[in-house]
Amino acid sequence: MSANLAGGGIRAVAFAAFAWRRHRVLVIGAVLVVAVVASATFAGRLAPYSPYDVNIADKLRPPNAAHWFGTDEYGRDVLSRTIHAARISIKVATVAVSVGLVGGTVIGSVAAYFGGALDVALMRLMELLFSFPAILLAIVLMAVLGTNILNAMAAIGIIFIPGFSRLARAATQGVMRQQYVEAAYAIGMSDLRILGRAVLPHIATLIVEAMQAFAYAVILESSLSFLGLGAHPPEPSWGNMLNSGRGFMDQAPWLGVVPGLAMFFGVLGFNLLGDGLRDVLDPRMRRGLAGPTMPGNVPIFSGSALTAEKTLGDPGSAESPAR
Amino acid sequence: MLRLVALRLAAFVPTLLATSVILFVAVNVVPGSAAKAALGIDATPQAIARFEHDQGLDRPLHVQYLDWLGKALRGDFGTSFQNHLPVSPELLTRLPVTLELAILAFIVANLIAVPLGAAAARSHRHRTDQVVTLLATVMGAVPNFWLATLLILTFALKLGLFPAGGFVSMAESPLRNLSLMIMPALSLGIVSSALLLRIMRAGMIEVLASDYIRTAVAKGATAPRVVWHHALRNALIPFLTVGAVEFGWLFGGVVIIEDIFLLPGIGQLVLVGIINRDYPVLLASTLTVTVAVLTANLLVDVLAGILDPREVYARPRT
Repeated sequence: MSANLAGGGIRAVAFAAFAWRRHRVLVIGAVLVVAVVASATFAGRLAPYSPYDVNIADKLRPPNAAHWFGTDEYGRDVLSRTIHAARISIKVATVAVSVGLVGGTVIGSVAAYFGGALDVALMRLMELLFSFPAILLAIVLMAVLGTNILNAMAAIGIIFIPGFSRLARAATQGVMRQQYVEAAYAIGMSDLRILGRAVLPHIATLIVEAMQAFAYAVILESSLSFLGLGAHPPEPSWGNMLNSGRGFMDQAPWLGVVPGLAMFFGVLGFNLLGDGLRDVLDPRMRRGLAGPTMPGNVPIFSGSALTAEKTLGDPGSAESPAR
Repeated sequence: MLRLVALRLAAFVPTLLATSVILFVAVNVVPGSAAKAALGIDATPQAIARFEHDQGLDRPLHVQYLDWLGKALRGDFGTSFQNHLPVSPELLTRLPVTLELAILAFIVANLIAVPLGAAAARSHRHRTDQVVTLLATVMGAVPNFWLATLLILTFALKLGLFPAGGFVSMAESPLRNLSLMIMPALSLGIVSSALLLRIMRAGMIEVLASDYIRTAVAKGATAPRVVWHHALRNALIPFLTVGAVEFGWLFGGVVIIEDIFLLPGIGQLVLVGIINRDYPVLLASTLTVTVAVLTANLLVDVLAGILDPREVYARPRT
C-alpha cells in the first residue's frame, strides 16, 4: 500500500518535472489560471473579510498585519475585495467567450461549408464588425443595452464573434479539403451531419484561441467597469476598484496597484495557457490546416489585439482554397 | 499603382456607409431614452413627445438616417441634446488632441517593436530572443489603464517629473504639450508594442531564413546591413498590416486614456455622449474614430502595395 503510494508520488513528481521541462509556459499559465479561478470560486472562504464591510475608522490604512493589502476609502479590506473581484471577471469572461465561440463557430463553419454568396455576405459583415475598435464597439453596445454587467457579457461576446468566425471558417475550409469529407458527401450524408460529425471535431483548436479571448475579455470587462459602464459599486471588480482608487492615489497608492496586479496575473495566465496549448496542439504542425502564411506564434486575442487575425485568417491569402 | 488606390477607395466608401448605418441604428434603437436623458426622468409624456418631434426622432428610422447622412456629408453633425451647441466645431477642436495622442503612441509602439523584434529575430532561440519574448508577453498582459495608473503613481506623484493630467496645445507651448502627452502616449504605446514586437520578430525570422539573405551574407554584407537594409523591407509587410489594425485599436484605447489624463479629445466626447445619452454627440464622435481607423487601414493597404508589388494583384478582396 505505502509502496504503491510512494510509487504514485514519484510518478507524479516525474510527470511534473517532465511537464515543467517540456511545457514551462503551459505550466505557469495553468498555475495562474487555476489561482484566479479558485479565488473566484472560493472567494467566500479565501477572503479574510467580507468585501462589503465598511469601517470608516479604518479607512485608507496602508498594508499591515490585519489588512495585508491595506484598506480603501471606506475602510474595506483591499485583499478581500480583490479576491471577490475575480468572480466578476471570470463570470463575464466565461459567458462572453462562450457567446463568441458558439456564434463565431456557427457563422464561420456555415460560411465555409456552403460557400458562395452566403460566405461572402457573412464574411463581409464580420469584417465590418471587425473594423470597429473593440472597446469602442463595447461602449456603443453598452449605451444601447444599458450599463450593467449582464450587458457587458453580451457586448464583449458580440465583439468576439468576428474573430472566431474567421478562424472557424479557415479551419473548416482546411478540413473540407480532406478526402473523408468528400467520401461522406459521396455516400449521401446530410450537410448538417457532415458539419457536425466530420468537420466540427477538427476545429477544436479554436479552444486555444478561446484562452486568448478569455484574457482579452478580462481586460475589456475591467476597462468597462473602470469607465463606470460595467460592474456597479459596491460590487467589487478590478476595474471599478482601480477607478475609485484614482481619487486617493497620493494617500493610498496600494489602491492603484493591488487590483491591477491581480488583473495582470489573470490576463498573463490565460495568455500563457493559450500559448502553451498552442505549442502542444499546433494545428500547423499536426494537420497543416492553416497554411504557411501565418507569421509565427501570433496570438489573436492577446493584449490589445483581436487583430493579428487580419494577417492570419485573411480570406484573400494563399490558404483559401475556394478562390 | 493608381488601379490599387482606386480599388481600395471603391471598397472604402461602402464600408464607411455600412459602418454609419450600424452606428446609427445601434444608437437609435432605444426609444425615448434620449428625451428622458435630455429632459430629466420626471419629464411628462407630452414634453417627451414634443422633444422627439422637435428633434425629428418621431420619424421613421430610414428617414432620420438619410437626413442625418445628408447633413453629415456637408459637415453638419447636428446640435447636442445637452448644451444645444453644434457638434461639428466641437469635433474639430478635439480631433487634433486625439490624433496627436494616437500618433505619439504609435511612434512609441514602433520604437519599441522594430528594434527589439529585429534583435530577437537575429538571436533566434538565444538569450536576447528569450528576454524579448518574455518582455512582449508581460507587456501584452498589462491593461493600458493600469499602466497609466502606475505611470501617474511613479512619475507624477512620486518623482514629480511629469504633470498627472491636463492639456496644452502644441502651438501654445510645444514643451509643455509633450510633457503632458508623454505618459498617455507611453501607456497606449507600450501595450500596443507587444503584438507588433511579436509580428516583427516572426516576420524577421522568416525573412532571415530566405535564400536572398543567405546570398547577401555570402557576398560579405555585414549583419546590421543584412538586417536593416535587406531584410527589413520584406519583414515590414506583415508588420504594416497588423500595424494598421493596431493603430485603429489605439484609437479605441484613447477613450479610456483621455479620461484618465483629462485630455480634451474625441475619446472623452464618446464617454460624455454615452453618459448623457447625447445621440448626436455619440454618433459624431464614434463615427470620427471609425473613419480614422478605416483611413489608417486604407493608407497601409496602399503602402503595403508600394513596398511589395506582389500585393497589388494577389489579394482580390480588401
